[in-house]
Amino acid sequence: MADVTESKITDEHRAMLGQRSDPIEVVPKTADAQRMRDLLGDTDPRWADGTGIAPPYILAMMEPRLPAELSPQVLSSGILTQTEWKFSQPIKLEEPLQAVTQLIDVRDRLGGRYGYSVLVMFQTSYLNSDGEEAAASLRTITQFDRPES
Amino acid sequence: MSQRYFEDIATDDELEPREQLPTEDKAVEFFGRDNPTNPAFGDAEAGRRMGFGGALVPGLLKLSWITNYVGMWAGSEANLRSVRVAFRRPDIAGRPLTLAGRVVDKRQEDGVNVVELEVVTLADDQPTVRGNVQVEIPSRP
Repeated sequence: MADVTESKITDEHRAMLGQRSDPIEVVPKTADAQRMRDLLGDTDPRWADGTGIAPPYILAMMEPRLPAELSPQVLSSGILTQTEWKFSQPIKLEEPLQAVTQLIDVRDRLGGRYGYSVLVMFQTSYLNSDGEEAAASLRTITQFDRPES
Repeated sequence: MSQRYFEDIATDDELEPREQLPTEDKAVEFFGRDNPTNPAFGDAEAGRRMGFGGALVPGLLKLSWITNYVGMWAGSEANLRSVRVAFRRPDIAGRPLTLAGRVVDKRQEDGVNVVELEVVTLADDQPTVRGNVQVEIPSRP
């Protein structure tokens, strides 16, 4: 694998920083919450049947696809390497949220075990009907070039 | 599920390890059987075609296990602030995973008790996911 000593991130890629997707409506579904709770063996009374509250991991069902128009394609392949969930308010079942995704960072990773790679970070905010953030997720995609076989 | 209180928690406290056995069936059930997802989650052959040793365990399932693991430790009066994980190695269905964790910090922020934990999933004693979790824990009444 050839050493890369210069960034492959261009001004065009950087111009995507801070851009936001159009809002996408996502609805935390009661059936999803129930199924996930059962699978995980979660007995927390806060999101038991009848409470109307979703367990925090409902975010796994709500995360929208990363919008292509906000995704700088610096290298040919990419995998999800980090995720962070942040919670500001309880998530109410069946109450629609608006998911807005933003490219927040793109940076080089020179060297390392796999050679040159690029870290691309997105934040998705889940906004309630008052426009307040109920939760957020941060996803880091590590882009790399597949070695030629 | 018992409640934990801020005063009773100390840095370096360890959480009791919990074992999980990920399977293809659990991966499919997690996302819902009507919900199309990565074929490598439910099909060992698809996972092998992608260069792995079998069906892949979804990262979001592992993240959910970690979220639940800390939530059950903290108790239902605690509030999860954030959970951040780095996926270090792929996990293969059928290979047991051990969740383990320890308290790395406790502090007060603007009058709120915050406890920070490091959590890991281990397969064959090797970490596959490393996480940091922040949780607000009440004071003893």
